[in-house]
Amino acid sequence: MIQLESFLIISAIVFSLGLFTVIYKKNAVGILMGVELILNSVNLNFVAFSKYVDAHINGQLMAIFIIILAASEAAIALAIILNIYRNRASVDVTQLDEMKH
Amino acid sequence: MVGFYTVLLFIFTGAFLVSFTVALSRFFAPTKQYPEKLIPYECGDLPQGDAWIQFNNRFYIVALIFLIFDVEVMFLFPWAVVFNDMGLLAFVEMFIFIVVLLVGYAYVWVKGDLDWIKPKPRLEHLAKGKGE
Amino acid sequence: MSNLNSIQYFIPELFLTAAILVLIIVDLVLKDRKGHIIAYLTAASAIIAGILAYQQFNLPAASLFQGMIVVDSFAIFFKILAAFSTAIIVFISLDSFGDKAEYNILLLIVTLGMFLMPAVNDILMIIIAMEIVGLMSYVLAGFHKKDLKSTEAALKYMIYGAASTGIMAFGFSLIYGLTGHTNLYDIQTALVNGHANPVAMFVAFMMILGGLGYKIAMVPFHFWVPDVYEGAPTPVTAFLSVGPKAAGFALFIRFLVTVIAHPTYGSFGSFTQNVQIQAPLLLAVLAVLTMTLGNFSALNQKNIKRMLGYSAIAHVGYMVMALVVLNNDAFGAVMFYMIVYLFMNFGAFWVVESFASKLGGEEIENYKGLGYRDPFTAVSMAIFMFSLTGLPPFAGFIGKVYLFSAVIKQGWYILALIGVLNSVVSLFYYLSVVKSMFLRQEDENVPIQSSLYHKVLVVIFVVPTLLLGVYWQPIINFTTHSIGIFFGK
Repeated sequence: MIQLESFLIISAIVFSLGLFTVIYKKNAVGILMGVELILNSVNLNFVAFSKYVDAHINGQLMAIFIIILAASEAAIALAIILNIYRNRASVDVTQLDEMKH
Repeated sequence: MVGFYTVLLFIFTGAFLVSFTVALSRFFAPTKQYPEKLIPYECGDLPQGDAWIQFNNRFYIVALIFLIFDVEVMFLFPWAVVFNDMGLLAFVEMFIFIVVLLVGYAYVWVKGDLDWIKPKPRLEHLAKGKGE
Repeated sequence: MSNLNSIQYFIPELFLTAAILVLIIVDLVLKDRKGHIIAYLTAASAIIAGILAYQQFNLPAASLFQGMIVVDSFAIFFKILAAFSTAIIVFISLDSFGDKAEYNILLLIVTLGMFLMPAVNDILMIIIAMEIVGLMSYVLAGFHKKDLKSTEAALKYMIYGAASTGIMAFGFSLIYGLTGHTNLYDIQTALVNGHANPVAMFVAFMMILGGLGYKIAMVPFHFWVPDVYEGAPTPVTAFLSVGPKAAGFALFIRFLVTVIAHPTYGSFGSFTQNVQIQAPLLLAVLAVLTMTLGNFSALNQKNIKRMLGYSAIAHVGYMVMALVVLNNDAFGAVMFYMIVYLFMNFGAFWVVESFASKLGGEEIENYKGLGYRDPFTAVSMAIFMFSLTGLPPFAGFIGKVYLFSAVIKQGWYILALIGVLNSVVSLFYYLSVVKSMFLRQEDENVPIQSSLYHKVLVVIFVVPTLLLGVYWQPIINFTTHSIGIFFGK
């Protein structure tokens, strides 16, 4: 039988990787992938807790809604990134310094 | 835990068999290197240019639209599970949900985002700054 | 309350949803012949939704949709504020975006999110409501598609927003794991009865604070503010600085009261050791950091939108300062300050928006000599600046008096002192705008002709800013009554 801790460890690793990606990546699409990793770790947490802690299925419902959220976030983010690419032919976030003072 | 030994055995056997056959073919096959062999295979034609080409923007937009409408189906699965217990109410709720989605679909359609060649904007000031 | 019975209490939100769908269809049917129709319809829908919400004002508090959201006067106050700010923003942006149907419909969708945010009672609804507001705001910030600054603002807003939402969701998943519930009141009961691991609870609280702090632009989650406020179209900046922020504060207060504070401490009481978090001290430190950083960064800004962005951070600091004591006085003060802030901030941004092209830019330098070129607008702008500083006899002064008195009554003297000192600092940069307008002149003062529309809107913002400085009792009655009906208290 797999214990709850195993799920939590995996989810913590995925969360840390996602956070690291968000901080470290220079490519906007890469950052978006990091955000997706974070949201997936959240999903894993919710589903695991739903199985081991909660008597109901609230956690699984949360997971469904977070998947939808991740998709809509990805759609809007990609649209914005596409727009950035059209304007400056690059999606490198370190070059976004139009407003440095 | 004992059940996992079979899995381990399976992994080892698979890895051994694959590497063994690859090594065997390497040992027996005649090797003769010449430049044409290193060219990427493109159905017999000579490859032209880099593999990193720019795709048409329309691919992205169609993919984005697909993404949204594809994931919304997620709500249909839990609905299908409880449909028998809830009866008419569940049907009406999902009907409203689909209608909302259809409005979004109609928006995408009328605005021309599903057409491969997007109609030119009719307004003058929009057409001016179009730098694609 | 079951789903079918809940619908009768859910009419404002249902109306907004229907209005959004109808407006999309109207836009599709009318195509290019629409003019400003969509904008007017948007403002009308927002106002009608606000009136519908107001009709529920005196009803007893109830929870809807099996505990997903609640309807109480506290939430309705913020719903009315949201509807009002949306209607005003539609008129502020009539010149620049009046013919853009998408812009107005997006504003209406944000309004729907802001209607849900103060009323949440479940982790699920917190995340959904915040994302409705967040995702639409990203699009609004990047609405000038060809403008480098605008798209850059959208991307930065989106990256910070997505990351902080993810972190907040992780925090909520930990709370769910610690208590086994997603309903806020069930979580509270579980926390009081059970023994949640204090370390895990602290980590979860900090992660949630990240998401909520981002929404209200609190230090250290404020990095997006200056760039987004400068880059986004001016009406959107004005909207972001009031509408979603007020809804964020409502959500923040509801979360603190229902999850962090102990229920047995009578009416609101103070924070307790319910979850072993030194929440008051933590919030006090964050409030001091927020207002100090906001004010000192605003000091040497040259762009007026950026300056107002940093000053918005400082104002968040003042409001978070009041949340430290977490009692009825503090909530009333925050709500009153939000109303005052709405008028003075919208006023300032309206002047920036309507004069950007006439003055040739949004730098403070551009405002030089405005007092001689258009005295009416310049005096109004000066009133907004003085009110933002918190000088008597303007509305901002009364707002700050309530904020500080709530803190002082509970004995947080040093916190209040730092707040007052910060207000003094803020005088410098607000006065620099006034100085630029009145004390410096161009070689020749060409009078600026402003339209009647511009003047009417300025008057709409100036009158409450002056009036609330001398006669504010009705608003205080309104806010006091609103806190009186708080679900679960």
